[in-house]
Amino acid sequence: MSTRLHRRIAVVAALSSVCLGLAACGSGSGTKGGSADGKVTITVDCPPLKTDNGGKSLANWNSDVKAFEAANPNITIKTVSVGAQCDNPPDFTARLQGGTQTDVFYGYMTDLNQVLDADGAEDITQYITKDTVPGWDSISDNIKNPFIENGHVYGIGYAGYTMGLVYNKTLFAQAGLDPTKPPTTWQDVATAAQKIAALGNGVVGYEDYSAGNTGGWHFTAELYSRGGADVSTDGKSATVNSPEAQAVLGNLHDMRFNGNSMGVKQLLGWPDLLTNAGAGKVGMFIGAPDTITAIVTQFKGQYSDWMMGPMPGDGGPAKGTLGGGSGYFFKKGASADQIKAGLKWITFEDLTPGQGQFNYALQKASGLPVGLPEPEIWKPGTAEAQKDNDLKKANTNLDLDAFANYVANPVPVVTEPANAQAIYAILDGVMSATLTDPNANITKLLNDANNKIQNTVINAGS
Amino acid sequence: MTDLAVLPPVADVAPRAARSRHGAMRRKLFDNLTGHAFLIGAVVCFGFFSWYPMVREFIMSFQQTHRGVTTWVGWKNYENVWHDAAFVQAWKNTLYFTVLALVVGYALPFFIAVLLNEFRHARGYLRFLVYLPVMLPPASGLFLFKYAYDPSDAGIFNYILKTLHLPTSEWVQSQAMTMPSLVIASTWLNMGGTILIYLASLQNIPGELYEAGELDGAGIWRQIWHVTIPQTRLILSLMFLLQVVATMQLFVEPLILANGDGNQGSATSVVYLMYQRAFYEHDLNGAAALGGMLLIVLLVFSAVYTRLAPKQETD
Amino acid sequence: MAVSSGTRTIISPARLGRKRGKRIYWGLLILVILAFSVAFLGPLYWMVTGGLKTGREIAQVPPTLFPQDPNLTAYKDAWTDLNLGQLLLNTVIYAFGALAFQLVFDVAAAYALSKLRPVLGNAILGLILATLMVPATTLVIPQYVTVIDLPIVHWHMLDSPWAIWLPAVANAFNIFLLKRFFDSIPQELLSAAAVDGAGPLRTLLWIILPISRPILGVMSILSLTAVWKDFLWPLLVEPGENTKTLNVGIYAFSKGLTQNTIIAAAVIAAVPTIVFFLFLQRNIMAGLTAGGLKG
Repeated sequence: MSTRLHRRIAVVAALSSVCLGLAACGSGSGTKGGSADGKVTITVDCPPLKTDNGGKSLANWNSDVKAFEAANPNITIKTVSVGAQCDNPPDFTARLQGGTQTDVFYGYMTDLNQVLDADGAEDITQYITKDTVPGWDSISDNIKNPFIENGHVYGIGYAGYTMGLVYNKTLFAQAGLDPTKPPTTWQDVATAAQKIAALGNGVVGYEDYSAGNTGGWHFTAELYSRGGADVSTDGKSATVNSPEAQAVLGNLHDMRFNGNSMGVKQLLGWPDLLTNAGAGKVGMFIGAPDTITAIVTQFKGQYSDWMMGPMPGDGGPAKGTLGGGSGYFFKKGASADQIKAGLKWITFEDLTPGQGQFNYALQKASGLPVGLPEPEIWKPGTAEAQKDNDLKKANTNLDLDAFANYVANPVPVVTEPANAQAIYAILDGVMSATLTDPNANITKLLNDANNKIQNTVINAGS
Repeated sequence: MTDLAVLPPVADVAPRAARSRHGAMRRKLFDNLTGHAFLIGAVVCFGFFSWYPMVREFIMSFQQTHRGVTTWVGWKNYENVWHDAAFVQAWKNTLYFTVLALVVGYALPFFIAVLLNEFRHARGYLRFLVYLPVMLPPASGLFLFKYAYDPSDAGIFNYILKTLHLPTSEWVQSQAMTMPSLVIASTWLNMGGTILIYLASLQNIPGELYEAGELDGAGIWRQIWHVTIPQTRLILSLMFLLQVVATMQLFVEPLILANGDGNQGSATSVVYLMYQRAFYEHDLNGAAALGGMLLIVLLVFSAVYTRLAPKQETD
Repeated sequence: MAVSSGTRTIISPARLGRKRGKRIYWGLLILVILAFSVAFLGPLYWMVTGGLKTGREIAQVPPTLFPQDPNLTAYKDAWTDLNLGQLLLNTVIYAFGALAFQLVFDVAAAYALSKLRPVLGNAILGLILATLMVPATTLVIPQYVTVIDLPIVHWHMLDSPWAIWLPAVANAFNIFLLKRFFDSIPQELLSAAAVDGAGPLRTLLWIILPISRPILGVMSILSLTAVWKDFLWPLLVEPGENTKTLNVGIYAFSKGLTQNTIIAAAVIAAVPTIVFFLFLQRNIMAGLTAGGLKG
């Protein structure tokens, strides 16, 4: 009988040891230490998706990696694709919590707080020198500062966006509007939307978000355009029940129910609007130039359909526009060699005119679009900015006129408020109410939202 | 009955120990060890993934971690969650869903099972049909409904309603219809399992009871009331509990059908709020507090229910 | 035509034998068959044909009953863009692995609690059954944190199948089902085996398990289905591009796809389970209807 018992225990023990033995297999995507005899390995995430531009963007990335490794034989770059996680906040949070971020990991400008709170990034201030990041002083403050806290640098910004009015040239022409003269005020937007919606066949004049926190995000952008804000500058009071906010919702409500120019389907999130746009059903929406890229690369649209104008304002130019961007952080615990290697890579790929993301010649040869007005990371007047613009002009294969209005009329950039996601979640509600309820009481909606933001976000310090 | 003669020969059996007290104790020890050896795998897994997390949830709910430092914060997380803008609504929505789902997803499948049990033909086919949606991965089934629920004329449901000259609906987009839409989708996807479980239970009802009932002059409904339901009361009772507990954990349907919060939060469920708190607002401790609340609520419900519900028959 | 006899149900066979009864019976049966076919097969038909339509056609009003120009482009796109092969493989591995672990550990545990009854068995049973009342979703946050760093052994389980396999064993419902079934096995069988000198393992393997095929079948179906359909947990613990499950993958990757491609993906995702169901249908029915050792 003891033999059988022993056998039984043996089976259990064997299974347990298999379990423990395989424990080594799950250890996240950061390389520990990474250096042996002068050789450094770093993992980098968020390369282009393999479905972007039929795989060409990823192919260029890979050839860049090879070129970099050839020039720096001591450094090995391991690209880790995390799929759609680069654009999905919950996935980013999960990776941070799970400690599975790569050595060099991508994040939004608004992620600094979260990253620091989770103690996920290294302080790299001391590693930024003329050797590692030669162009550092030429990078615009808008791009640098969101990654710096109290003088400590935690990340390198490399891309920034600002929102403007994105509109469909073809639909404009069909509706009898002049595509070279986009609406510059919200009043004009309403008029144009009505004309476009009159085309019928499921076409929407102006489309907007109202779910998944994107509704609140766009509400904020539109509020900025009228000179309002979600919270006061000292961050102590909520200010969404202002006249500007009322105007935002009033305008949307009007377009939706009086002009019938926003379509029946609401509660749209980020991919929903772009899907419709890609199908040629959207006349106008507000967004950054990367939305056009997304429409073409992911949602089967065409560059020739799209143009951009500046963010519309209230009876005049916009007073502000929502800006954001992204950069790379360095995983906490990365070694000095890894950080230096990572900085070198980022400089190579993202901060050198004519190379990597700025290699317009290669992009043009690969059939990728050149000429989009982003990212604008260089301070105007610097040598880098000049070189970048020259290269862009020389290699552009897009109709630069499509963005002429947007570029020629820059609008002051306002960054997202602290605790943006929590605020957006609350503001989603006012957007969805405005766009689905013909009898929406806008004053009440905004007062309620204001109270909620005040009580649950600002006061609670959550 | 298994024929013991076909068992492989038991060659290495130790002869029964002499019935000395020492031998009996030793045997008892062996027996216990053997028993525990059989148990250990499951117990370890329960320990790590069930019992420990239960404790940890409450510990986390009283702590906060910032920049690597964990501190005890008393009731702060609970207060934050309580004051969350969507807190009350999340509970209301979830309860509403649960109640609706009891009507549509608990009572209805029972009567369908009763009906199906009466048929002597096409049994296999009908069971296959009702169980088919259960076999669909939620992503498949819910995307199907997402498109079917399109509030414009492109949505297939509205198109059918229009063809039948019935009023169309905005489905998930309308505040009032959000939960009913979710319930319909959820029921279609899940009722097959419930129906089959009821069917199995119905088949254990002795036919004599029905005969007796018929001799007493009972009609169909009286038969159901006096024979079918009492005979299946255990399974009905169990399914009620399981259903309530399951539906209170609503998450996937709001996420896929309504982008999580729906129209002014009409689709936000408690679990979605917890997920949002953890991964959009980076507040794992608050999320743990919320999870803890839901856990307590459902535990209390289960405890009270088990007290009051029909007891398991003693074997 | 005489209706086959079996355990009689509410309506007596006699009533069904009569002319009026027969008419109602057949009328109702045909109505139910038609209605159910439409209700349950209709959406599936719509899904399959939707995947055959072009992006434009699927969004048009009024919807077309049959695709105008059926082609497999959407299916091909779905397969490659969503990496469905990988997702399917992952889900299969997770599901069958979890089942294997459950069959070993849960059956052993139920057997011990039912027949071997070691000391403290009742306490353990109580603790296990207590978790029956604890809804899994309320524990995901601490479970997630636990899986990131398992206490004592400091095992990081994210993006590995163990994060799905091991928690699957902690299934109180399985233990409850199995124990209930084992309880109903008459003691005589076991005593006879003991007399013949069979130890507990042998008894389990050669006597209990063969009789338990129906309940094991049911448990297997439930278990596989549970893992296959799980969403929140795999969403959290299998975030990697190559470790995602089918559901999570379709949800996550669908953000950039058109409607017909997503529908095509949904169809492909549904095929394995439906095929699986077709093959095992008899076992499921047998499992659910077999009286087994109960009357």
